Amino acid sequence: MVSRWMYASLVVLYIFLLGPFIIIFMASFGANATMAFPPQGFTLDWFANVFETSQFIDSFWISLRLALLSTIVSLIMGMPVAYALTRFQFAASGFVETVFSAPILVPGLVIGFAMLNFFVLLGDMHVMTGLFIGHTAILFPYSVRVVSASLRNLDPYVEDAAVSLGANRLRGFLLVVLPNMRAGIAAAFVLGFITSFNNVPVSLFLSGPGVTTLPVSMLSYLEYYFDPTIAAVSTLLVIFTVVLVQTAERALGLSQFV
Amino acid sequence: MIRRPNQRRTLLLLVAPAFIFVFVFFVLPLIFLLSQSVLPEDGGFTLTGYVDFFQSRVSRIVYLRTLKLGLIVTGISVVMSYPAAFVLARMPARRRSFLMSLVILPLMTNAVARTFAWLIILGRRGMINQTLLSLELVEQPVRFIFTETAIVLGLTQLFLPLMVLPLVSAMENIPDDVLEAARSLGANRLTTFARIVVPLSSDGLVLGATLVFTGSVTAFVTPAILGGSRLLLMSTLLRQKAVILFDQHAAAVVAVVMIATTLAVNLLLRVGRVRQA
Repeated sequence: MVSRWMYASLVVLYIFLLGPFIIIFMASFGANATMAFPPQGFTLDWFANVFETSQFIDSFWISLRLALLSTIVSLIMGMPVAYALTRFQFAASGFVETVFSAPILVPGLVIGFAMLNFFVLLGDMHVMTGLFIGHTAILFPYSVRVVSASLRNLDPYVEDAAVSLGANRLRGFLLVVLPNMRAGIAAAFVLGFITSFNNVPVSLFLSGPGVTTLPVSMLSYLEYYFDPTIAAVSTLLVIFTVVLVQTAERALGLSQFV
Repeated sequence: MIRRPNQRRTLLLLVAPAFIFVFVFFVLPLIFLLSQSVLPEDGGFTLTGYVDFFQSRVSRIVYLRTLKLGLIVTGISVVMSYPAAFVLARMPARRRSFLMSLVILPLMTNAVARTFAWLIILGRRGMINQTLLSLELVEQPVRFIFTETAIVLGLTQLFLPLMVLPLVSAMENIPDDVLEAARSLGANRLTTFARIVVPLSSDGLVLGATLVFTGSVTAFVTPAILGGSRLLLMSTLLRQKAVILFDQHAAAVVAVVMIATTLAVNLLLRVGRVRQA
């Protein structure tokens, strides 16, 4: 059933998907500053430039802190919702599910814009607080959905058995349910972290002077300079992501949750 | 399922914190946005913002261009993914899971990095222009950046995985026996593909198409880098109205039109699915 031209289409697909990464790699080591292709010579200057540009270093730390914080908070608040959706039957469950998947249906740029206007209305808000609120809100679809998926695979009677054997509800949850949710929680964590870490549209409006995320500062760098520094940043980020994603895929089978 | 007398209280405790957060920081801002689009700062309720939007030649062009490019990107993604997804779905599990992790890799890298590659490929002194010049096919570098072609290429690369993933998972569920039965009953490859594989994977196709289309019509980074202010899409128009022209009323209108468009597409999908079931 699988014919030769189908294999050819697979090769074309992968060239198209991965080719741009190879080009970024090559460009980040090229010696000429004008981004001509193919790059001439070999240099690590652009990588050095990345670490000397405070714009990138500062925004990297902001992105990292923001991604960790918003992922953890959205998981802490989202996990109980996932538990309620999978363990209880209640009339509003459809509505609750819709509300928590809504942030994925609304365009990111619109969310950022709406939040900025709303935060201005609320009065002076610290830029980092705004970013944190925005990122936490857009991560709920991941934390609720992915954790729900892993809870659905767990037989509810396992928990009931623990309770009937004398554990109270909380103990039953902590000792029986939680350990079984580990893979789902870890998958939700990785997905949430990456979503926040890479987000541009929401951060774009919520960033402020001096407080910018890494992708947004890359975008604004591109407005003024066109040199391989961005290629070097991208190369570093790709390596970072590959390590993270491959580890998660090996451990958890991430692609079934995306 | 657990049923206890204090179920309501437990439920409230579980759901309320997150619900309040989402309501206050997500739903309320959207309601405020909606009100901004019909209540300009200096007056009462009016729909002039929407009338202006659809009467202005520029915004009409931008809106139609956004929809057109979204359709093109979706079409290209379908054609590129279909046969490839079939090969992936028929592979031994180990090899498939490795190849699938390569498919999601682009999805996990930030859009600025991915779009930047197209500047190197399509730029004035980029890969394609250098090739064309050295083959003496052209005398002057061709302008690719700030064209619709560039945006389509960038968006396709960005959203292709969203088509491949649902297609592969739909095709995985087609049993080998069904395909063999079709073949042994005399159907050739093309017939088997058209009459068995396509109908049985239509769910994945519809889901993938919706994801790619809504992704394409709302993406910001790719049109910002590859289209700039010369070739606006809805997202870059929204940004321009809000940040450069400081016209929050008009920007709110653009934002609401964007939401309405993506919701309409998702609703169509849901109706289509219900009818199928």
